[in-house]
Amino acid sequence: MQFITAARSAAIVTLVLAGGCAGSGKGLDQNGEPISAGGGASEPLTPDFQSIQDNVFTPICTRCHIGASAPEGLQLDEAHSYALLVGIPSVEQGSLLRIKAGDPDNSYLIRKIQGGPGITGGQMPLGGPPLSQDTIAVIRQWVAEGALQSAMAQAPTAIAREELQRAFSVTAVSPAPGASLQAPLSQIVVAFSHEIDVSSINPSTVVLEKVGASELMPALEPAVPVALSLADGNPTTLLVRPLAPLDAGTYRLTLRGTGAGAVADLSAVSLGTDEYFVFTVEASS
Amino acid sequence: MRRMLGLAFLVLALWQAPAMAEPYLAVQTGFKCSQCHVNPTGGGMRNAFGDVFAQTQLPAKHIDTGSDVWAGALNSFISIGGDVRFQAEAQKVRNQPAVNDFDLEQARVYLEAAVIPQRLIVYADEQVAPGGALNREVYGLYWSANHDWYVKAGQLYLPYGLRLEDQTAFVREDVGINMTTPDRGVEFGYLHGVWDGQFAVSNGTAGGPTVSNGKQYSLQLSFVQPIWRLGVAANLNDSAVSGRRGAYGLFAGLKTGPIAWLAEADYVDDQTVANGGLKSAAGLLEANWLIARGHNLKITAEELRPDTTVSHNEVARWSAVYEFTPIQFLQLRLGARVLDGIPQADSQHQQLYFLELHAFF
Repeated sequence: MQFITAARSAAIVTLVLAGGCAGSGKGLDQNGEPISAGGGASEPLTPDFQSIQDNVFTPICTRCHIGASAPEGLQLDEAHSYALLVGIPSVEQGSLLRIKAGDPDNSYLIRKIQGGPGITGGQMPLGGPPLSQDTIAVIRQWVAEGALQSAMAQAPTAIAREELQRAFSVTAVSPAPGASLQAPLSQIVVAFSHEIDVSSINPSTVVLEKVGASELMPALEPAVPVALSLADGNPTTLLVRPLAPLDAGTYRLTLRGTGAGAVADLSAVSLGTDEYFVFTVEASS
Repeated sequence: MRRMLGLAFLVLALWQAPAMAEPYLAVQTGFKCSQCHVNPTGGGMRNAFGDVFAQTQLPAKHIDTGSDVWAGALNSFISIGGDVRFQAEAQKVRNQPAVNDFDLEQARVYLEAAVIPQRLIVYADEQVAPGGALNREVYGLYWSANHDWYVKAGQLYLPYGLRLEDQTAFVREDVGINMTTPDRGVEFGYLHGVWDGQFAVSNGTAGGPTVSNGKQYSLQLSFVQPIWRLGVAANLNDSAVSGRRGAYGLFAGLKTGPIAWLAEADYVDDQTVANGGLKSAAGLLEANWLIARGHNLKITAEELRPDTTVSHNEVARWSAVYEFTPIQFLQLRLGARVLDGIPQADSQHQQLYFLELHAFF
């Protein structure tokens, strides 16, 4: 009797399982995005940044590397990935850049997806099947050819004109605003929409402060000493590196965007407003 | 492009993320999670009842140890426990070479100090392998005199939905709350009669000590009957800076003869994603057929809609896992999982086959 009951139940299970099925994919590209929406990855993987973003970073890496809690602060969604990869020191292996333009062998990202040597932690994608050798070869080729942003590489004049018409602004920050992360924190990355005028970057225009009970209150301590530099091969991205590890607390990064000497691009267009980014460093457990 | 972010869920890997919770056992027995676990919301260390249950009710054969029966207690105040999972697995992604390996999936140890027996405990759940030590849960828990409410504070698994063994289930991945994502905060629990409820406030994804409203709120409430149960769950991750992410779920359990059914459906509204946010939905239906003592067949069907505004993008996953518990504290799990998505996405067509050795105490 018990078996009959189970068999009847199993039959119901089968019917239910048969009812659940995958989508037909009609009208979608291989990332599941409507083709009419533009973008997407309907094209095969090619050695340019947009193609790698559409075929690898977005569909595979953003399973984990997204949002304020992205591992190692590395967000690989389209809005952040280039700025946080090219010319940015690795958190796990500080002597290596995540992507060193022109040098795939010494790019930490390449080592991570190849599974070594000298990597910290596991091969990426973590826990999933490794990327195919063909895919890795295409990414290596993109790095070897200078790790350019696709559009800039393909149509520099048109894109440059378009870029100049847009306001100079911050496009990405890592750690993400509002993030709470464990010490140590070795760097803060700020990406801009245009190439930065390096002469506008100095301790009076880029200020890192520890703040107290409210991030809106004036800092009670002197500014944190930092080293300021542009990312290697990625002049739209600013690296802010504290000279000493940050202890636990809440920090505010201020970019002066108004007045004389404000942070500006190569056309002397400034941010237009002061920008504030607040994040919290927790004591390591 | 916001739709592409939904693909974070489309390539859900098929590997096992081991854990300890088995809510189907609660449905089969009619118990609440707190009947067998130190943690009132389930998972992790088993209490004395759970240890005895694991020795007498789970295995096909009980090896008699005479008067020396393991119940986790080193003395009247200190108890320990642990779980080890070792796996041989093969994984195949369409148009990619198959990958197979042996893997120590997880080794975890638990420590409970009942500093005031039955009333106040300090509890730690530490993952010791693979890699370096990783703290999962550490909290203090105060029980009321008749155990109908409690307060827990520290680092804890958030209360939301079915605390499944498979942390990669669509419903757990889509919501983003599982046993790999503990948070620091306070939880209040109410367990009285047929009711089992929890409310937690924690730091959340982006909550910091100075962000006044950047916290995460989790709520679940279950109505528990001997052969069925029904629950609702909600989670609001309120990042003051990057936006809100809300998850809302309905879950249930039903016992029909030897089969324990589990079901859960969730809807996620993620406004932290650029360009208008992302809305997704996931569902799970699982049957656990207790073929005989020590033999359980688990069949699971799952469905994911990574972006509910897009048609024809559903992803399905089917799992069949045979669980054999030959003797107390030892389990063998033989399983297959198949992921099936839209035809043009290779990454949505995967198969995983695994044999797992699970030792626990």
